[in-house]
Amino acid sequence: MAEQAVAAKKKQKSSEDYSYVGMVLHRLTRHKLAMAGAVMLILMMLFVFVGPLVWRADPNEQIPGIEGMFNPPSQAHPLGTDDYGRDVLARMFFGGRISLFIGFSSAVSATLIGAFIGLLAGYYGGWADNLLMRFTDAMLSIPTFPLLIALASVMGKGMWQIIMVIVVFGWMSDARLVRGLALSLKEQEYVEAARAIGASANRIMWRHLFPNTLAVLIVSTTIGIGSSIIYEASISFLGFGIQAPLASWGNMLQNAQQFIWNAPRLIVYPGLAIFITVLGFNFFGDGLRDAIDPKLKL
Amino acid sequence: MRDYVIRRVLGMIPLILIVMIVSFSIFSLVPNPFAALIENPRIKKADIERLIKAWGFDLPWYLRFFKWFSGVIKGDWGPSLLYPGSSARDVIARALPVTIRVMGIEFLLSLLIALPIGIISAVKQYSVTDYVVTVFSFLGMSMPTFWFGLMMMMLFSVFLKRPSGAPLLPAGGMMTPGLEEAPFWTRFVDQLQYLVMPVLVLAFSSVGSWTRYMRSSMLEVVRQDYIRTARAKGVPERLVINKHALRNALIPIVTLVALSVPGIVGGASITEKIFNIPGMGSLIIAAETKSDYPTAMVGLMLTSFLVIVFNLIADIVYAWVDPRIKYS
Repeated sequence: MAEQAVAAKKKQKSSEDYSYVGMVLHRLTRHKLAMAGAVMLILMMLFVFVGPLVWRADPNEQIPGIEGMFNPPSQAHPLGTDDYGRDVLARMFFGGRISLFIGFSSAVSATLIGAFIGLLAGYYGGWADNLLMRFTDAMLSIPTFPLLIALASVMGKGMWQIIMVIVVFGWMSDARLVRGLALSLKEQEYVEAARAIGASANRIMWRHLFPNTLAVLIVSTTIGIGSSIIYEASISFLGFGIQAPLASWGNMLQNAQQFIWNAPRLIVYPGLAIFITVLGFNFFGDGLRDAIDPKLKL
Repeated sequence: MRDYVIRRVLGMIPLILIVMIVSFSIFSLVPNPFAALIENPRIKKADIERLIKAWGFDLPWYLRFFKWFSGVIKGDWGPSLLYPGSSARDVIARALPVTIRVMGIEFLLSLLIALPIGIISAVKQYSVTDYVVTVFSFLGMSMPTFWFGLMMMMLFSVFLKRPSGAPLLPAGGMMTPGLEEAPFWTRFVDQLQYLVMPVLVLAFSSVGSWTRYMRSSMLEVVRQDYIRTARAKGVPERLVINKHALRNALIPIVTLVALSVPGIVGGASITEKIFNIPGMGSLIIAAETKSDYPTAMVGLMLTSFLVIVFNLIADIVYAWVDPRIKYS
C-alpha cells in the first residue's frame, strides 16, 4: 500500500509536491501502528502472491476417499486438507488473491464514483447538488447490508458481480467527503484563475479540484479496502459470494463452519487471514490519515 | 428552530420514497417464488397463475410497486410468503423484541465500557495505556464478526465443558426448550447464558469504534485554549477533565449515539445467523433471498425510517447541547 500511495502521489510530482510527499512519508514512518500495519500487509501480499511460487500445490486437486479428508497439518500438506481432501495452504493462497483483488478493486471504484458524484455536486451546486445529495442521503439511510445481500443473491456469483454490488453500496461516504472539499476548494483563487483563462468545468473539476482531494481519497480507499474485504467475506459467508470450487477466504470459512466439530482448524486459518489483512489496512490507513492531516475526520 | 424542524420533516417524505423505490426495485430482481411451483406436477397450472396474479407478479415491478404502495398507505403491508398465514407486519413484530433485547444490551454495554476507556486513553495520550487501548480498539474494529462468533462458539461450546459434560455456554438459540413455564429467575439465568456470546461478539467491535470516537473527540477538546485557561487558573485536573472538557467532548458523541439507535432495531444479520437468533437481521436476509418481499420491505422501511428520524433527532439534540449551533 505504501508503494501505491507514493506512486499515486508521484503522478502529480513537482518540486513542492515532492517535499510534501517526503513530509508525509517521514510522519508515516514514525507512526508505529502504521508501520505495524504496513508490515502485516507486506507479509500478507508475500503470502498470497509469492507463496504459490514456493509451495506449488493445486488448490483444486482432490484426494479421493476418506483418508484424504481433514488431514492434520503434515509435510505433504502444511495446513492439512479440507473436506474434499484439498490442500488448505494452496487454497489460502488463491482465496487470498481473490479476496484482496475484490477488496482493492471495489474500494478504488467506489472511491472514484463517489469522487465523481461529490465533485459534480460540490462544483455545480444548486439543483444538481440538491438532487445528488438527496440521493446520497437516501442511499445512506437504507440499511446497507440486507440490500447488499439481496443484490448479491440475484446478481450471480462471479467476482465482477460482487465487486459491483460492493461498489453500489460503497460510494456514498466518499461522495459526501469530496463534495465538502470541493465546496471549499472552488472558492480558492487558483480555481478562479483557471476559470478566468477559460478552463472548462470538466477541466477544473478533474485537473484542479480532484488532485487536491486525492490525499484524503487515498486514506479513505485504504480504510475502504479493509471493509470491502469484510463485505466480500460476509457475502461469501452467507453463500451468495464466490462459489466453490473457486476459493475465497469467505467461502472457505463458510464451508468450514459445518465442520466446527471435526476440524476446527479449518475455521481458524481463513478468518485469521481476513482479520490480519483488515487490521493491517486499518492501522495503515489510520497512520496515513494522521500523516496527511491529523485533523481530518474520516 | 420550529421552521427548521418543519422543513426537515417535509424533506423526509421524498427521502423515504426514494428509499422505498430503491429497495423495492432491488427486491424485484429476486425471482418470482411461484415460478418454481411449475416443477411440481401436483399443483394445477391455473392455480399457479392465480397465485402469480394475486401477488402481482404478472405486472412489471413498478406497477407492482404501486399495487404494494397503495396497500401500505392503507396500513396493509401485505402477507408474508415465508410464513404463510401471518401478515408481514406480524412476522416483523415477532422478531423485533428478540433483536431489541440482544442489540439493546450490547449497545448499552459497549457505551458503558467504551466511553470511560476512551476518555482515559485521551487524557493519557501516548502512554502505554493509550497504546494498549488503541491497539485493542483496532482489533475490535477489524474483527470479522462471523469469524469471531465461530471462534467463541468453538471455545465456549466445544472446548470448554461443565463438569456435567454439557458445553459451558449454549451454542445458539434464545432459551432452553421446556423452560417456558419455569419460575422467573430460572428463565432469566437460562436466557442470560444464551445472550453472553452474541453480546460479547457484537460488543467487541462496537467498543472498538466507540472508544476511538470518544478518544478523538476528547483529544480535540483538551487541546483548546479554555482548557489551558482552566488549568492556569489552578482548577484541579480532575475537575478540568470531568467538567470542562468532558461536557464539550460528549457533544459529538451524543449525536453519534442518536445516529446509532436505529441499528438496535435493524439487528446484526450475521451474528444472528451464527447464533441462531430469530431476530430482525436474519429474518430480513431470509425474507429477501426467498422472495418474501413484503416482510423484507417492512423490516427495511422500519429501519430506514428510524435512520431518517434519528438523523433529525441527532441534529436537534446537537443544537440543544451546543448553543453555538443555530439552524435557520
